[in-house]
Amino acid sequence: MTLTTAQLQINHAQCQRSGERLFAPISLSMNSGELAVIAGPNGSGKTTLLEAIAGLSLLACGSRLYKEVADLNLWLRHSHYLGHKLGNKANLSCAENLQFVAHVNEIEIDIKRIEEVLSNAGLAGYEFQHASDLSAGQKKRLALSRLLLLNKTFWLLDEPFVNLDHAGCDWLYQIIENHINQGGCVILTAHDQKKIHDLANHHITLVSAQEVE
Amino acid sequence: MKFWALFKRDVLVSWRKKSNIYQPLVFQLLIVTMFPLGLGAGAQTLAKIAPAVVWILALLSTLITLENIFKDDYEDGSLDIYVLSGMNLPLATLSKATAHWLTTGIPVIIFAPVIGVLMHLPSQSYGVLMLSLLLATPIFSLLGTVGSALIMNIKNGGMLLSVLIMPLLAPVLIFGAGAVLETTLGNSAFGHLMLLLGCSVLSLTLSPLAAAAAIKINLE
Repeated sequence: MTLTTAQLQINHAQCQRSGERLFAPISLSMNSGELAVIAGPNGSGKTTLLEAIAGLSLLACGSRLYKEVADLNLWLRHSHYLGHKLGNKANLSCAENLQFVAHVNEIEIDIKRIEEVLSNAGLAGYEFQHASDLSAGQKKRLALSRLLLLNKTFWLLDEPFVNLDHAGCDWLYQIIENHINQGGCVILTAHDQKKIHDLANHHITLVSAQEVE
Repeated sequence: MKFWALFKRDVLVSWRKKSNIYQPLVFQLLIVTMFPLGLGAGAQTLAKIAPAVVWILALLSTLITLENIFKDDYEDGSLDIYVLSGMNLPLATLSKATAHWLTTGIPVIIFAPVIGVLMHLPSQSYGVLMLSLLLATPIFSLLGTVGSALIMNIKNGGMLLSVLIMPLLAPVLIFGAGAVLETTLGNSAFGHLMLLLGCSVLSLTLSPLAAAAAIKINLE
């Protein structure tokens, strides 16, 4: 594969909600080491678009090509989606939550690796705490720590900065920057994060389909 | 390994939650104590209706637990995690059903003789009672995954779930309660049990596919 070939290619993608097209078609082509930020007003379909890119739902039209093929399973193996619903089981401990995520993604891990990931996420010492006992920000950190644990190429993050304190935002910014520098790709939705907008290679602003017509 | 991980997690979550396990049993116990009070009759009247009562209680008490099979996972987002892991969905729903059966079906089977005793069920019927429930409780769990997957994004969908799968469970009740009734009359229950086994196999083959399709519909 030549260097000019994009890793991820999204062509004229549109999503719909109850039969109506949400936004004008968007296209995006990402190479390794790039960051794309999706912006748009509330209700413009940012989450819907991200879910469709992730493979959780279907694009109403358009296509998603990963390494030039539309193979969903190949794409799922190399991407991780983190949405508004964090996916932590309330009555499992932090370590058990991470263990489950690793096992369904067929990654072997030991407790050392879990401790390492949790302490990186600022949750050192919380290994055996139930997820329900964490604060909203800590729950978010636990969910974000999955990114480090699974270490997939593509990160798809829906409003990742919500609920995080200043230190948390800085930490997240840092891991996103590291990931990009290591050749990973990140697509995220964000509102007022100037720092992340400055870092982005691609800016996508969703405009409603009706406005364009 | 994926399915084992999902199964293990579900059992652990149920075990920690406890209410999943004892709620059906308490429900059965509360209702069965109402029968002698309401009927105001002796052991003979109770024994007559015992097969039906024991069976209906097992069915209804399982029914109230079905809603959460997928709803919890949908609401906290962990459904996304295993769907996006590229897991084979029919097999994933099978693993959910197995975990549900282990934490709800098995306690119901073990508890059934207690309800039987309270209803003065004749002593020759207990073996067939437990055997019929052993064949039928997997059907409850399997059809439950279909129903639960259909209603997971509906608030207060429990009633809809009951309406959806009750008709499907009617034949199971007929054969199951029928089997126990035959033994109280001193007849063989073989025919009824074979029909129950047939229902079991049918739901084992079809419900994982239906449940997986329902998940896909709801995510789109």
